[in-house]
Amino acid sequence: MDATTVIAVISCAIVLCGWLVLPSSKTTVKPLVVSEEPEPVSVSA
Amino acid sequence: MKIDSGDTAWVLASAALVMLMTPALGFFYGGLVRRKNVLSTIMHSFFILCLISVQWVLWGYSLAFGPDKFHLIGGLEWVGLNNVGFTPNADYAPTIPHQAYMLFQMMFAVITPALISGAFAERQRFKAFVLFSLLWATFVYDPIAHWVWGAGGWLHQLGALDFAGGTVVHISSGVSALVAALVLGRRLGFGKEKVEPHDATMTVLGACLLWFGWFGFNAGSAVAAGGLATSAFVVTNTATAMAALTWMTVSWWHKRQPSVLGAAAGAVAGLVAITPASGYVNVMGSIVIGFGAGVVCYAAIQLRERIHVDDALDVWAVHGIGGTWGALATGLFATVAINSGAANGLFYGNPKQVLVQLAAIGAAWGWAAVGTFAILKFVNLFVPLRVQEEEELLGLDISQHGEPAYAL
Repeated sequence: MDATTVIAVISCAIVLCGWLVLPSSKTTVKPLVVSEEPEPVSVSA
Repeated sequence: MKIDSGDTAWVLASAALVMLMTPALGFFYGGLVRRKNVLSTIMHSFFILCLISVQWVLWGYSLAFGPDKFHLIGGLEWVGLNNVGFTPNADYAPTIPHQAYMLFQMMFAVITPALISGAFAERQRFKAFVLFSLLWATFVYDPIAHWVWGAGGWLHQLGALDFAGGTVVHISSGVSALVAALVLGRRLGFGKEKVEPHDATMTVLGACLLWFGWFGFNAGSAVAAGGLATSAFVVTNTATAMAALTWMTVSWWHKRQPSVLGAAAGAVAGLVAITPASGYVNVMGSIVIGFGAGVVCYAAIQLRERIHVDDALDVWAVHGIGGTWGALATGLFATVAINSGAANGLFYGNPKQVLVQLAAIGAAWGWAAVGTFAILKFVNLFVPLRVQEEEELLGLDISQHGEPAYAL
């Protein structure tokens, strides 16, 4: 196995291990703010 | 020289794929801006497609690829496509009509200034943008393209490896974007009010279309339909996927949620980073390059935010830093097992290639930075670079183009 392959395997392992330890959802969820619909704009042809 | 119909078909199809990337970029950028600026942002890409298509056949191709002058620039012998016909050119692509190669390269020249437009989104005056783009393509892009790809160009002779445009396209546009963001200054309210992307779905669609078009960008750069094009196709897809996975994971760790826009930006970072290396590295090299792109480009955005530079759509972080990483990584992972006409990199016993790559990176950074600064100052003598405050508040769609994007 050459050096490039070793680094590639380590890179993949880092990403895969990251998924195992990362949170499945955020602990605090902010309520969504829904913006007001803008006034219709007329467009001349 | 005999024209190969398979090679010609592939290069023409690749030119069409690369052409699609510029409107795709418009959608990628358009989704990231506020709704009052989406049309003007898309217009930047669409307009440049038209502008550079004409500039390239008139003088751009001649300056970039024409007969060499002092190893710095192409001559004017090919102005107006004079002497650029259907007979293949042995220096560039011996099996396809010269005009097919010219057309393929045109699409690279088109997308490069369009990339910069993300840095000054939501505040640049359209007239200033027109002048800047024309001058930048002529005095920054065309010379760098000649240095790296032109027969006789000094970086080409030095042995710099750039298969599809890491230095020519991405470093040049990314560094220019940083300079443009600094010269134009921050948007009104930058850092005080949150600027949310108005349509993330548009951005993800744009990223997907960029990914699709990039197969022409990289695999087309083999200028032949064969094994090298296939290899470039495979490593492009692999590095892109790896960069998207990495960026998403890093942002997940940093912001505690896996970001959709982050995955899309990561894919683009991977596409950028693999571009210079795509004709020289194997699939394991492409995984490392994609991983590195996800990490360094994400870190570059954090740095850009910390120093309060308003590169609105992170062109410097993704293209400037991603292109720099890709160019450097080419010097690390290139192998003649993939491309016998090139050179090995550091990991295959040739440390000198890293120095050559660093020279190319430094030259592209320097010329792009100085050239962009000079052009912006020159344009500003005739046309103010920024819109007025009230125009910026109103939005560029109405103030610059008189049209809203959405009549809802």
